[in-house]
Amino acid sequence: MASATRPNQLLRNMSSKIASIPMALTAIVIFVGCTLWTVAYSFTGSRLLPRWRWVGLDQYDRLWDTDRWIISMQNLAIYGFCMMAFSLFLGFLMAALLDQKIRGENVFRTIFLYPYALSFVVTGLTWQWMLNPSFGLQKVVRDWGWESFTFAPLTNPDWAIYGVLMAGLWQGTGLVMVIMLAGLRGIDEDVWKAARVDGIPAWKTYVYIVIPMMRPIFVTAIVLVATAIIKVFDLIVAQTQGGPGLATEVPAKYVYEMMFRNQNLGQGFAASTMMLCFVLIIIVPWSIYEFGGRRNGR
Amino acid sequence: MAIVAQSSKYGRVSRATLAWVVGLLFFFPIFWMVLTSFKTDADAVKPEYLLFFQPTLENYLNMTENYDYWRFARNSVITAVFATIFALAVGIPCAYAMAFNPSRATKDVLMWMLSTKMLPAAAVLYPMTFLTKSMGLFDTHFLIIVVLMLINLPIVIWMLFTYFKEIPKEIIEAGQMDGVNTWGEIREILIPLAWGGIASTALLCFIFCWNEAYWTVRLTTTEAATLSKLIEGNRAPEGLFFGRLSAVSTAAVGPIVVLGWFCQKQLVQGLTFGAVK
Repeated sequence: MASATRPNQLLRNMSSKIASIPMALTAIVIFVGCTLWTVAYSFTGSRLLPRWRWVGLDQYDRLWDTDRWIISMQNLAIYGFCMMAFSLFLGFLMAALLDQKIRGENVFRTIFLYPYALSFVVTGLTWQWMLNPSFGLQKVVRDWGWESFTFAPLTNPDWAIYGVLMAGLWQGTGLVMVIMLAGLRGIDEDVWKAARVDGIPAWKTYVYIVIPMMRPIFVTAIVLVATAIIKVFDLIVAQTQGGPGLATEVPAKYVYEMMFRNQNLGQGFAASTMMLCFVLIIIVPWSIYEFGGRRNGR
Repeated sequence: MAIVAQSSKYGRVSRATLAWVVGLLFFFPIFWMVLTSFKTDADAVKPEYLLFFQPTLENYLNMTENYDYWRFARNSVITAVFATIFALAVGIPCAYAMAFNPSRATKDVLMWMLSTKMLPAAAVLYPMTFLTKSMGLFDTHFLIIVVLMLINLPIVIWMLFTYFKEIPKEIIEAGQMDGVNTWGEIREILIPLAWGGIASTALLCFIFCWNEAYWTVRLTTTEAATLSKLIEGNRAPEGLFFGRLSAVSTAAVGPIVVLGWFCQKQLVQGLTFGAVK
């Protein structure tokens, strides 16, 4: 860096540091402070109000003995995995489709992207209606004459989480597609020409040449999809409220209900601490791998 | 791209058809919601009235008269606008510092900021509720503005950083030679140069603020409640007041959809972090 040519280096660094203070402060106070508080109280027997009565790991024992928590974790795992895999896959396919110089590309791009401008609450409600057997898609198709048509995932406990997944994909895939499309546009035309001269089929060119070249784009997409997965709670509250039965319960909902409905704060704190641990287990190694090695970049 | 040249007419037609089918699938739920908002609650659940029905404005009139739509809408506008302004006011200097005076830790700091987006909000909900209630901030515009600003700040800084990085350092350094101070550099060189990027960031931040439902629903009761809260409040057991809820939802997303339509280019650019040239 050109520090030697800059006499006011100290001052300049000062201003950068001052500029970063608000963000750093909030991060420390809100995220670290409140999180530590939550973690600390997860070792207490707090019920209606936080009380400093130490119970050790009791709350965690009880948590992992609760079926509802186990089901919540499974649901989040299914949703998270499917959401990540399908939104990247479908988003890429749609981007590849739009990349074929289709007429009216801008219209399609806007249509695909529109669901993303809708909040999770509206998305959840809309899909609750769409998938409702008595007046949604199933009923409409049956009235058209296909009497045996059955498509009501939200009423079937085995399929309910996939009904939520549909809504999630509908909302988020457009974003992935737009990002991927931008990535595809950034690929040099010569790459395609070279691949064609060598007689490599299009799908192989995509898999072995284009996708590896789009690595930064994939990272961006993964980060954004991951933040959406964490927010699935909003979608579930609007669409299924965890039902039928426990079929679409998620950890965030368990936390919320323990804290604000069941007056079992300690249990809620323990559950949120567990969620935090899982996020850290996934994020820390990945971010070290993805971002750690490039310090001398820029 | 290049494959187009070797593809047959048949292939082109089938691809266009596929795009239209997918497009319709994506568009249908929104279309249905808007359509339903013009039906009475009774008609809304009758499939025979799917496309052909007696349109009515009853839901919308009901909403503005009995549910105080305009107050919720005003709160949404106030909180989203101010949160966006503050997020930019904090984000621009921060991204400036990171883009033009990077240190060895810049990448780490950026990643660390972004990682806060992935922390489960549930973990801090209780302390936040407790804290804000005891400070008397619960259900105030101020609180919602601050919360919206904070949760969007990582994305705002990240986006601004990606735009600022593209600006040649020499331009900023030329300003220094002329004896412009840091604030002058930001205001007179950086902001005009990165105007497009800043506009995209602002637009996206505004949309995120508008759609936020987790904190705005849980940290408000009436005073600072936004449109998300209005929808939550109107939710009823399955199928009941279907038309009314559609009207509320349509009215809640309407402004964003209209805004998005007019700012399509910025929106796409914002979402792709400037990668669309």
